[in-house]
Amino acid sequence: MAASKRIALAVGLLVALAYPLVIQATGYTYFQTVGFLVFIYAMLGVGWNFIGGWAGQFDFGPCIFFATGAYTAALATVHWGWSPWLGMLGGIVVSMVICAVITFPVTRLRGHYFAIATVAMWMIAQPIGATWELINGSRGLFIPLAPAKSTGEAIWHLAWGGRSKALAYYYVALLLFVLSMYLAHRVDRSKLGYYFRAIRDDQEGAEAIGIDSRVYKTAARCLEAAVFAAGGVLYGFWALAVFPDQVLEMNWSVLPMISTVLGGIGRLWGPLLGALILIPISQGMSATLGAGPLAGRGLDVIVYGIIIMVVAAFRPSGLLSLPWARWFRRG
Amino acid sequence: MASAGPLLRVERCTKQFGGLTANRDVSLEIAPGEIVGLIGPNGAGKTTLFNCISGHYHPDQGRIVFDGHDVSRARPDRICHRGVARTWQIVRAFGRMTVLDNVICGALTRTNSLARAESRALAILEFTGLRGKEREMAAALTLADKKRLEITRALATEPRLLLLDEAMSGLTPTETTAAVELVRRVHADMHLAICVVEHVMEVVMPLSHRVVVLDHGEKIADGRPEAIVRDPQVIAAYLGEPHGQRD
Amino acid sequence: MTELAQAVVNGLQMGLLYALVAVGLAIIWGLMEMVNFAHGEFMMLGMFGAWWLSSTLGWDPLVAMVPVALAIYALGVLTYSQLMRRVQRGDAFAQIFATVGLLLFLQNGVVALFTSDYRFVSDTVLSHLSGVQLSVLGIKLGVPLLVAGLLAFALFIGLYLLVDRTEFGLALQATSEDRDAAMLMGIRPQKMFAVAWGLGAALVGIAGVILANFFSVYPQVGLSFTVLAYAIVALGGFGSILGTLCAALLVGVVQSVTVVYLPPAFKDAFVFGSYLLIGLFRPQGLFGRF
Repeated sequence: MAASKRIALAVGLLVALAYPLVIQATGYTYFQTVGFLVFIYAMLGVGWNFIGGWAGQFDFGPCIFFATGAYTAALATVHWGWSPWLGMLGGIVVSMVICAVITFPVTRLRGHYFAIATVAMWMIAQPIGATWELINGSRGLFIPLAPAKSTGEAIWHLAWGGRSKALAYYYVALLLFVLSMYLAHRVDRSKLGYYFRAIRDDQEGAEAIGIDSRVYKTAARCLEAAVFAAGGVLYGFWALAVFPDQVLEMNWSVLPMISTVLGGIGRLWGPLLGALILIPISQGMSATLGAGPLAGRGLDVIVYGIIIMVVAAFRPSGLLSLPWARWFRRG
Repeated sequence: MASAGPLLRVERCTKQFGGLTANRDVSLEIAPGEIVGLIGPNGAGKTTLFNCISGHYHPDQGRIVFDGHDVSRARPDRICHRGVARTWQIVRAFGRMTVLDNVICGALTRTNSLARAESRALAILEFTGLRGKEREMAAALTLADKKRLEITRALATEPRLLLLDEAMSGLTPTETTAAVELVRRVHADMHLAICVVEHVMEVVMPLSHRVVVLDHGEKIADGRPEAIVRDPQVIAAYLGEPHGQRD
Repeated sequence: MTELAQAVVNGLQMGLLYALVAVGLAIIWGLMEMVNFAHGEFMMLGMFGAWWLSSTLGWDPLVAMVPVALAIYALGVLTYSQLMRRVQRGDAFAQIFATVGLLLFLQNGVVALFTSDYRFVSDTVLSHLSGVQLSVLGIKLGVPLLVAGLLAFALFIGLYLLVDRTEFGLALQATSEDRDAAMLMGIRPQKMFAVAWGLGAALVGIAGVILANFFSVYPQVGLSFTVLAYAIVALGGFGSILGTLCAALLVGVVQSVTVVYLPPAFKDAFVFGSYLLIGLFRPQGLFGRF
């Protein structure tokens, strides 16, 4: 990596690390929560990028893996007292296995047929989530959190109260985002990354040079499932409860996708750039509209819809493909 | 060494699309290291046959046997792993990747290591004469270079049989000569069997050890180039019946 | 046993309505080879149009059909001319997320205007007929659903005739097959596609108006109907009118029978599952030729 890029990365990381500390002093946890949301959505966007950006297959329903991750870790904690970090590993494994099983058969579907299949999967998941007794159905699964007696314990159980909670979860989200980016970076410069992009560019041509598109499309989605599972665990423990209609909400699928498309689909930094723009818009809108009659009416998603239509019509490759963004690109 | 028999054996391949029979009872053999020309008027079924051999179509009847294995119902990626590589009539490189990355994709068929794939790719690019252009975007190449890239990428998969589907079409005479020279060099240095679909007779005849002629989905001739050009059925197929009756 | 037979008959009637929902996707978007994730949103707008005209002006859905159809027609034309025209030539991907953006915009626009509450259209002409029932071989045919189904079927046939027998329809087919040749014949492709989008949207919007007689109206209802439409078209094969009709009837029956044996929450799950199964085992559908 060029020296200038290393420096930029280091500076960026320092800013991200320092950001909440500066604000912590003021006592407002709001901005830390915004940061937390930015990194969760950016991380999920990185996950979506594997299948949507690199492999070129539109996944409309990754929230099902968000849900399986959240539920696996929640169940592990509720029934066996597991640390959420272990639960996260479990959630990742469970999600990847489920993903492989349900995705491999539908890889023969192309283009929007595959996309509709992912919607169909999501829609089948909804009544399952609402009625399955193991996960308490629509009554939801509450995560008991005993107050931790030391910082170490707090980190191990993701148990914070009061003012330190927003700060701590910000750093956990940042950590998971960094790990996801590292994963993406490694995959990018690996056989997987090359094969994903080959399938996206020309699936028949890729098969003719020995690429089994079914296997690699499934692999791409499994990477996405892993990232979404981790995100689900993070969200579940932050919310201290897992409800099916919350974790299977369309926004968890759509916002990461929009962030990535806006920032630059298939580009490493696309998801973060998109999230950095979109989340503040949403937060700004709810701040100004506050508790008024239009609050909670999805106005931010209306704006997102407009943004996506504009991007699709005028710059489908996203912001990072604009000429002045050359310096930020990694190709 | 594997069987001493033919590398590729197509047995009575028949392929239909709705009411159209694109290939009917086509049988042919290709020996290791042989260059076979596949010619015939437009619509004769040449590309369909290629697609059956490479696994993009499956024959409705008949068998495709490569290196002793029945690959009639195999997926294209499995057939590539067995040693068949191909280029396409309408050239298709991975446009959003560099030339080097394109070839690396081919080289990754035989290794999981990116480093090894990259060095192999550079070596083949050197061999086919595209070294120096490896950082260019594939979509930005000239047609001749795109076709050369396709061949390079196919060679990176270390095939034993290379199928070239109209690799010379759309090229200027100079470019065509260069492409023919490349094919000869590939054959000489890599000892591949090559099957060439081509319309330009001046290209195919000198290049091939043997020529197979298709017309309306059926094989009408199979032999040495000198014999093929004199075969009345072949002449009739290309020029129409009255000319065939002349001799 | 009669419960099952009753379910089958109800399913067939619903199937006629579903056929209308799906036919636009099969023919219009099938012909244009364009993606439309917002297909169900046009239907949702039709439902809301019917509800709003009913609750504010007291108009019956049968009457509301006309202004709603015109309004959604205009929306369809606008969608094409401002958005889809720009993404038509490019990546299929851009088409997908252009229509996803439209989906988000329309769905949340309605949420902003009306909230996510479930609404009902009551006191309609059809509902007044609900006391009347025909009885055939011991199976009851509710008149409202029957009338609605026949109306939907009439529109369905109307579209088929429009595409297959009229000059407009033939021009549309010609344009989708060979744009340049069509241009040489004086057909303007952009205008063609804009009208096609308008028609497709209006048709599924009318379906929404009809369905508002029977279903609750809420902003999120669109997406499940989009998948339903795709399931029907996948079953029946794109471009096949007969296939769409048969598939829609089949889907209606499957859904209806499912409710007899499974909890109602799973009513649609079976239909969605069948989309996945078809994709696995018979991608060309029951009637399509791949």
